[in-house]
Amino acid sequence: MTGLCGGVPDMAEMMVPIGPQHPALKEPVNFQIFAEGEKIVRLELNLSYNHRGIEKAAEERNFIRVLPLLERVCGICSHSHATAFAKGIEEIMGLEIPARAQYIRTIIAELERMHSHLLWLGVAAHEIGFDTLLMWTWRDREAVLDTLEEMSGNRVHYNMNEIGGVRLDITRKQVEAAEQRLPVLEERIAQYLDMISRQESVLLRFRGVGKLSKEEILAYGAVGPTARASGVDNDARRDDPHLVYDEIPWNVVTDTSGDVYGRTKVRIGELAESLKIVRHCIENLPEGPVRVASAPKAAPKGEILSRYEAPRGELAHFIRTNGTDKAERLDIRTPTLANWTSVAKALVNQNLADIPVIVAAIDPCLSCTSRMTLIDTGTMTQGYITWDELVRKCRARYGTGAQR
Amino acid sequence: MNGQLTVDQVAEATKEYGPTERVRKNRIRVSADTKKIHEAIRAVQQHLGCDRLILISCTDDTESFGLTYHLTGPHRTIVSLAIAVPRTTPEAVTVSDILPPAAIYERQIHDLFGIVFLGHPGLSKLMLNEGWPDGEYPLRKDWKPEKGKIYDGALRGGA
Repeated sequence: MTGLCGGVPDMAEMMVPIGPQHPALKEPVNFQIFAEGEKIVRLELNLSYNHRGIEKAAEERNFIRVLPLLERVCGICSHSHATAFAKGIEEIMGLEIPARAQYIRTIIAELERMHSHLLWLGVAAHEIGFDTLLMWTWRDREAVLDTLEEMSGNRVHYNMNEIGGVRLDITRKQVEAAEQRLPVLEERIAQYLDMISRQESVLLRFRGVGKLSKEEILAYGAVGPTARASGVDNDARRDDPHLVYDEIPWNVVTDTSGDVYGRTKVRIGELAESLKIVRHCIENLPEGPVRVASAPKAAPKGEILSRYEAPRGELAHFIRTNGTDKAERLDIRTPTLANWTSVAKALVNQNLADIPVIVAAIDPCLSCTSRMTLIDTGTMTQGYITWDELVRKCRARYGTGAQR
Repeated sequence: MNGQLTVDQVAEATKEYGPTERVRKNRIRVSADTKKIHEAIRAVQQHLGCDRLILISCTDDTESFGLTYHLTGPHRTIVSLAIAVPRTTPEAVTVSDILPPAAIYERQIHDLFGIVFLGHPGLSKLMLNEGWPDGEYPLRKDWKPEKGKIYDGALRGGA
């Protein structure tokens, strides 16, 4: 059809830029969405806003100082990164980790999964305007964070891991406090599962949205709850047993619907499973030491692929050691990086309005994906800083009271 | 769940591509010929049921770069195909055509190590800022940040 002006094409593709700063997505990512009318045709992705060079920095630090650094890869999954690294190094060293330490690592791991999934559930609800659910889940998440704070001293960067075990033991009092909170959380989780299966606004906005078939998940390499919601029965906790997952009773949660609704059901199912694991572990916490008597400082030459099931899916650390107390190379593959390819696929042919919820459904974590260079905003100079200088600056800023 | 793969099964399927060894309980490593990586990956996909790429790890081995493709499948065994890419001509053929998740990992390695994946549909920047200078690959061992140089555009013109 020719227009009056001599060849106006049919509805042209329109590029809609979303991010890196955008009210709907609270992560620094840029999508260039090509749309025809309201339908998404294809998209380009740019993650390059947050590279902090953690992998490079990890090569410069000894194992003791790498652990706190790796916790900063991601606040939500801090225990995941530290555990994946510690268990890799311990395997290269050939260390036998005391059972009590492995139980404590598992308890923290599953509490981390619970707070992460509760956070996600709130965010997903928020993306569809169901802010009541956001308030509820985030209130419940506080109970999990309180438990973590009691056990580790911190709400997010627990810093529980050491090469050879854990830093802190769990006391009887902490166990009792956790045992009091668990029944309440259990009831709430059951309520959420019931609620999402009946709540009209959830069903309308989640069902059939961002659908991925089992074949697509396998082809595009998605991991974690995103994959399990499409019937792909992968979970590194069972497939590559670590910590105490092969000694305790628990189930891998899957679903077959493959849409945002399925991913929600899987995460709520995992909340219930994680709670069971935490309960089992605190009730059956073996006695004994929480770390090996003396872990070596250096690791022999070796290479290891350490897998860990983080809340967002399988996390892989490829570690190469060279006989010193530093890693020669640490290659981190985060679950979000593995999930992007499938998101790009899930968005095609969907409505522009569903972008936030489809993207949120993989629970993306950008700072995780894009891994410091110091920039002085006063003088606009950029460079590196020594440890002593950093300590001095911190003390100057927070006063000498920070010194102990 | 199928049983785990044995070293012999992996060795049989990949015998044309290089030697096989068991690294630990469920990790099997094949030191593959760099030129034949595409065919080697196809072989483990077809004959060993490896349908999932966990990651492509990259290391700087001074005179060359080591690329290791870690694959797994329903058998829960990890088959790692390792190749060496010379530093003088850092090129490898893309496997994103037969293994779509490889595309994003190859872009990451291209950003951080400067390895060019021949035939990749769009080897544009993924990890580093848009303003990051060309030819600077921060994860190479010989790369050091230059003092006073601004590596991203964030503060250009003041903040």
